[in-house]
Amino acid sequence: MTRASRKWALIFLAVPVSFYIVVVIYPLASSFYYSFTDWNGFSEQYNFVGLDNFERMKTDRLFRGALKNTLVWTVAAVVIPTSIGLLIALALHERGLLSRLYKSLFYLPICLSLVVIGQVWIWIYQPGFGLLNIVLEKIGLSEYTRAFLADPDTALESVIAAWSWQQVALAMVIFLAGLTAVPRELTEAAEIDGAGYWRTVRHVIIPLLRPASVIVIALSVINSLKSFDILYMMTRGGPFHSSDNLAMMMYNESFQKYRMGYGSAIAVVLFLITLVVIVVYFRQQRGLEQLYD
Amino acid sequence: MSKKRILHLLILTAVVLSMNAVLVSAQSGISIVHYYSDALGQEVMGGILQAFNEANPDSPVADNSAGHEDFKTQILVTIAGDNPPDIFSYWAGARTQFIVDADRLMPLDDWWAEAGLDEVIPAGVKSAGIHNGQIYNVPMNVHVVGFFYNPKVMEAAGITEMPRTWDEFLTVCETLKESGVTPIALGSRNRWPAQYWFDYTVSRTAGPEYRTKLMNGEAKYTDPEVQRAMEFWKELVDAGYFVPDANAYDWDEAANMVANGDAAMTLMGTWITGLWNGNGLEPVTDYDFFPFPIIDPEIPEVVHGSIDGWVIPANAKNAEGGKAVLAWMLSPEVQQTWAIGQGALAASTAIDQSAYTPVMAKAAEYLAGVDFLSGYDLSTTPPMAEGGLDMFAMFMNDPSGYLDYLAETQIIADDVFGG
Repeated sequence: MTRASRKWALIFLAVPVSFYIVVVIYPLASSFYYSFTDWNGFSEQYNFVGLDNFERMKTDRLFRGALKNTLVWTVAAVVIPTSIGLLIALALHERGLLSRLYKSLFYLPICLSLVVIGQVWIWIYQPGFGLLNIVLEKIGLSEYTRAFLADPDTALESVIAAWSWQQVALAMVIFLAGLTAVPRELTEAAEIDGAGYWRTVRHVIIPLLRPASVIVIALSVINSLKSFDILYMMTRGGPFHSSDNLAMMMYNESFQKYRMGYGSAIAVVLFLITLVVIVVYFRQQRGLEQLYD
Repeated sequence: MSKKRILHLLILTAVVLSMNAVLVSAQSGISIVHYYSDALGQEVMGGILQAFNEANPDSPVADNSAGHEDFKTQILVTIAGDNPPDIFSYWAGARTQFIVDADRLMPLDDWWAEAGLDEVIPAGVKSAGIHNGQIYNVPMNVHVVGFFYNPKVMEAAGITEMPRTWDEFLTVCETLKESGVTPIALGSRNRWPAQYWFDYTVSRTAGPEYRTKLMNGEAKYTDPEVQRAMEFWKELVDAGYFVPDANAYDWDEAANMVANGDAAMTLMGTWITGLWNGNGLEPVTDYDFFPFPIIDPEIPEVVHGSIDGWVIPANAKNAEGGKAVLAWMLSPEVQQTWAIGQGALAASTAIDQSAYTPVMAKAAEYLAGVDFLSGYDLSTTPPMAEGGLDMFAMFMNDPSGYLDYLAETQIIADDVFGG
């Protein structure tokens, strides 16, 4: 780079970098800072309380519940979109005209906002006229009918199921793209060698889909960690916090209970968990790059 | 494009942007933020503010509304960011107290006296806006909580007299249940609709003074008084008088159950009339009102509800403008437009009382005769309210564990009040 063009590069970089500092770095640093205080969110005075906020988490029943639910959601995010998304992608890959229609149908939930999805599923789960309960009754499983979102035993799982509807669609699209990159010679060779369909899938296609799988898992885990909108829409973490995750608890503590310091401390914990996921993801990515070099 | 030209473009953009900032900060207008963001609220409040602007073309008010939940966070962020509006709507009670304690609001005693509001605003309503001895929240309207019922359903079950005592209330519930109707609708998915059951059972059995102590952390949720109050509520749930799975519904879904005749009544605020009128229901023929029955005649009767008011931030840039809007809001004409349009009771008694529907007139009459106490989530400090609201939802899920729930709630109270 010549000196002049370097100067211009710096000038042009300055705009996005300063924007990034103002809207990302500074707020991030602030929440670290406030996590060591007892700030209530709007008062001018606050005290430094050291690690008190983090100490509090150890004995806080709500925090334990929210952490557990976050982990449950993360596990679901690894298992459900990858498995179901892969199955749908395999079923629809190179299957003629009708499969395009099905691809669009399965893709549709991505076009909806999570708030809309939440409202649709609220109606599906409704105890009186909800689709799910009516279906359960019709097929003779009426002992399983219940108010899914109002029952602390099923609220979290019901929200995760609704959320997965969209994530599965996202996974399917990524897997479909990955499948087009699988060389046909390899599957044909496997076929000639006498491998059945499932053996081909197991030993040829799935290993070659590794890049796509890494993206799917990383995306859905990160999406699960930051999921808030659909939970807010469907249960607000209720009934009585049984479906809280860390993002919801952070919101409740900060804005419902006016404990901005504690809320910030929860944000810091959530950030650290997300950081671990991202580090693992980048490591995997680097491994993949070496694979192709 | 030459580099020079690009540089000129950049400079021009920067200049335009900074001019914008100057223009925004230099305008002489008044900024208002309120939570009347639903269709009905925007229509009525929009009209009121537009009329203000026509009367005050030199200092127009810039209208900002936000949904209730967004409003709660947005207002705190603007206050903390030292960029508050000149006036904003706020719930009278513990939420206002919280901002007052942070020295973020302006006392309005002098303005109140000048405006002569003591003559038109009842003392009970005024007292809800007083914190640490000074007036901070100027009331706009009052909502009263009581039973709203479907007269056709009651009549079909042979009930013509609405209950005044607890025994009469139990008889009514039993009669309704026997006739195949769910007596009580409740939609407690967002928890707060259940709180009025706690409010009334506590204040009707242990008295308003005890209830105030409980709200302030001077009494305990494990006290026999609270246990006894919960038992009155539990009696109704155990008898199957409530709609099943109350936690699955929102308050307006519960309101629809009553409107459709699937349930007979619901314990709710007068805002329910706004919803029903909007859906084409007629007062008296389609819905009516009776107050929460008396449990112990020895105990002074109170009415629970909520008061929406206006506050002015301590560091408002145009506090005078904020006060001008305040005066506009409290004028009899605006009070009447607002109350009738919104389905609320006006804070000011200077309005034409005959403008109320017969149902609202009943609520107004009841309010005039007894003391007013805010509902639970506006009476106790927000972190405590969160714990209590959880308890009500737990109770509606499974009332049998009420003693455990009360013990858990007291642990939260110890933490919040530092007991």
